[in-house]
Amino acid sequence: MDNLYENLHADGLISNESFEKVKQRSDLFSVHWEIKTLLYLGVLLLTSGLALLIYENIDTIGHQFVLALIALICIGCFGYCFKTSLPFNSGKVKSPNTSFDYILLLGSISLLTFIGYLQFEYKVFGTNYNLATLIPMIVLFFTAYYFDHLGILNMAIANLAVWMGVSVTPKSLLLNTTFDSQTIIYTYLALGIILLAGAYLTQRFNLKKHFKFSYQHYGVHVTFISLLAGYFFYYNSALAMLWMLMLSAVAWLIFRDAFKNHSFYFLLLVVLYSYVAISSLVVRVMMLAEDEGALYLTMLYFIGSAIGLIFLLINLNKKIKAS
Amino acid sequence: MIAYNKIWLTNLRLQEDVKEKLNGGYITSEEFKDIKDKYPVGFYTPGPFARIGLFILTLIVISFADGILSLLFASASNLIETSGWMFFLAILSYIALEVMVSSKHHYRSGVDDALLFISGLLSCVASAMLFSHYNVVYFVPVFAVIFILSLYFSIRFADMLMAALCCASLLAFVYFGWTKVIPIGMMTIPFIIMLISGGMYWISYSFNRQKRFIDYHNCFIVAQLIFLLGLYAAGNYYIAQTLGNDGIGQTPKPVPFGPFFWLWTIALPFVYLGWGIFKKDTILLRIGLVLIAAAIATFRYYYHVLPLDMALTIGGALILGIAYVVMKFLKTPQYGFTYAEPDTEHAMDRLKVESLIVAEAFAKVPSAPAEHQDKFGGGDFGGGGSSSSY
Repeated sequence: MDNLYENLHADGLISNESFEKVKQRSDLFSVHWEIKTLLYLGVLLLTSGLALLIYENIDTIGHQFVLALIALICIGCFGYCFKTSLPFNSGKVKSPNTSFDYILLLGSISLLTFIGYLQFEYKVFGTNYNLATLIPMIVLFFTAYYFDHLGILNMAIANLAVWMGVSVTPKSLLLNTTFDSQTIIYTYLALGIILLAGAYLTQRFNLKKHFKFSYQHYGVHVTFISLLAGYFFYYNSALAMLWMLMLSAVAWLIFRDAFKNHSFYFLLLVVLYSYVAISSLVVRVMMLAEDEGALYLTMLYFIGSAIGLIFLLINLNKKIKAS
Repeated sequence: MIAYNKIWLTNLRLQEDVKEKLNGGYITSEEFKDIKDKYPVGFYTPGPFARIGLFILTLIVISFADGILSLLFASASNLIETSGWMFFLAILSYIALEVMVSSKHHYRSGVDDALLFISGLLSCVASAMLFSHYNVVYFVPVFAVIFILSLYFSIRFADMLMAALCCASLLAFVYFGWTKVIPIGMMTIPFIIMLISGGMYWISYSFNRQKRFIDYHNCFIVAQLIFLLGLYAAGNYYIAQTLGNDGIGQTPKPVPFGPFFWLWTIALPFVYLGWGIFKKDTILLRIGLVLIAAAIATFRYYYHVLPLDMALTIGGALILGIAYVVMKFLKTPQYGFTYAEPDTEHAMDRLKVESLIVAEAFAKVPSAPAEHQDKFGGGDFGGGGSSSSY
C-alpha cells in the first residue's frame, strides 16, 4: 500500500495535481471519536451526579441555594450559546465550535432539572401534570430548532411521548411497554401519525430538512408497532381487518416516500413490518385447518416467502442505487 | 485457505483507501471512477441496512428449513436428539455457505454472515452435546473442539465474530484445562492466563503488520481486543477473588498476592492508555479508556471513598475538564495527533446514531406517567438518571 499512489500515478490514473495533494497529506492520528465520547460521558455523569446530589441532600442544603445553583448553570450555558451561535436559518446551521453542542446539552438538561425541581418542591404547576411536561417539551423543541441540535430534537420527541403518556426510547418501548389497553394503543398510534406528519411537513416546507430522519425513524416504528398491536388486540373481532388495512396504507405511503428519498433503511423497515403482518395473517389461516399438513405448509411458507424477500431486497437495493 | 477471491479482496482494500482520499478531497471523483474500473471488485456486498435485512431473512429461511427437516425425521427415531444431527444441520448450512460464496460471490452480504453464524452456532451446540453426560459438561474437550472449528472458520472466511469466538474459546480451554490438570491450578491460573493473553496479543499484533496476513486484518484486530481484555481480567482483583472462591455464599477470602493484583487492576489501564498514545494504536487507546472505568468500578466495590453523587459529579467535571484541555491542546495538530474528524465515512452516520443515543441516555423518563402520578409529577425530571425511580 505504501507506493500505491505512485503506481496509480505512473499508470496515469491520477493527475499530477492530485498526486501532489496526496503526497502532501500528513497522516495524522485522529482522536475525534474518543474526545466526543468523553464529552458525552462527562455531561451524563455531571448531570446525573448533580441531580442525585440535590435529591439526597434536599433537607440539608437550602432549596433556594439549589435552585440558584441549577439556574446559574442553566443561564451560563444558554447565555454562552445565544452569544456564540450563528444566526437562525431554516437550513442546516453548523455549530460555531465543538464544545458548543455539549454546553447546549448541559444547559437543556439543567433546565429540565430546574423545572422538575420547581414542580417537585413548590408545585408551581399544581397538580396539572400535563403542563409540567408540556413546558419542558416546548422548550426542548425551541432549543432544537433555534440552535439546530439533533440530539435535543430527539430528547424533545421523547418528551412529546411523555407528555402524551407513553414512551418512545427504544429500550422502554421494547421492554417496559405492554400493549394491553385501548388507550395505550390509540395514544401510540396518534403519536406515530403526528411524528410521520412532522416528517412530511419538515420536507414539504423545507424547514430543517435534516430533522426529517428523526421524526420518521420514531414515527415509522411507533406507527407500525401500534397498528400490529391494534390488530392483535381486536384479533377476534371484525375490526382486526381494519387495522390491517390501515397498516397496508401506511406501508404503501412510507414505501413510496422511502423510494423517492433513496432511503434503504426505511424501505427495509416497511418490508420487515409488512412481512410480520402478512405472516400473521397466513399463520392465522393455517391454524384454522388444525391439521399436521398445515404445519408443514406454514413452515414451507416461511422458507419460500423469506427466500422471495431476499431477492426482493436485493432487487430494491439495486434499484435504489441505480435511480 | 480463504474462501473469497484474493484479487478482489486486494482491489477492495485499494478502493477503500482511494475512497478515503476522495472524501478528504485529495483526488477527484473522475479519478476515483477510473481507478474503480481498473481495479474491479466482483463481490456482492450491499449496504449495511440491506445486510441486516438479508441476515434476518436468511436466519428465518434456515431455521424453518432445519425445523422442517427435524420434523420429518422426528417420527422415525430419536435421531434428532443426538449431537450427530446437529453436526449434520451445521454441515448443511456450511455447504450452502460455500455455494453462496463461490458461485454467487456473496461477501459480507448478510446471507453469508447468517449461514456462517448458523454453522458456527450449531457446531458449538453439537460439540457441547457430544461431550456432556447427563448434566455434567466436560468443558475441556468442548472448548477444544470449538476452538478448532472457529479457527477453521476464521481462516476460511476471515470473519470477526468467528475470530472472537476462537480467541475466547482458546482462553476458556486453557482455563478449564489448567485448573483440571494441575493440582494448584486455582492459585496459578491468573498468571497462566496472563502469559497466554500477553503472548497471543503479541503474536496477533505482529502478524497484523505482516503483508501475507493482510486479508485477516479484521480478525487480528478482534484478537488483539480479546487478548488485551483477557490480560487485564486475569489480574483484576475482583475477578481473581470471585474465581478463587469455590463455595457460594462463603465470606470472600482475600486474594493471595493481593498487592500485586491491586497494582494490576489500577495500573494496567493506564499502561494501555499510555502505550496506545505512544504507539498511536487505536485499540490500546480505547481499551485503556474503557478499562479505567472498570478499574474505578473495582476500586469502588471494595472501598467506598465517596458517596455516589459526589463521585459522579466530580468524575463528570473531571472528564469534561480533561476533554476540554485535550481539545484546546489539539486545536492545531500536535505530535501527529489531531482532533479533526477522520476522512473515513461511517455507515452509522446515516442512521444518526449519535442523536439516538443522546435521546436514550438523557431523556430517561418513566413510561406512562399519566397512570402513576408519583411525587415527581410524572418524570418531568429529564436529567439523566434523576427519573422518579430514584
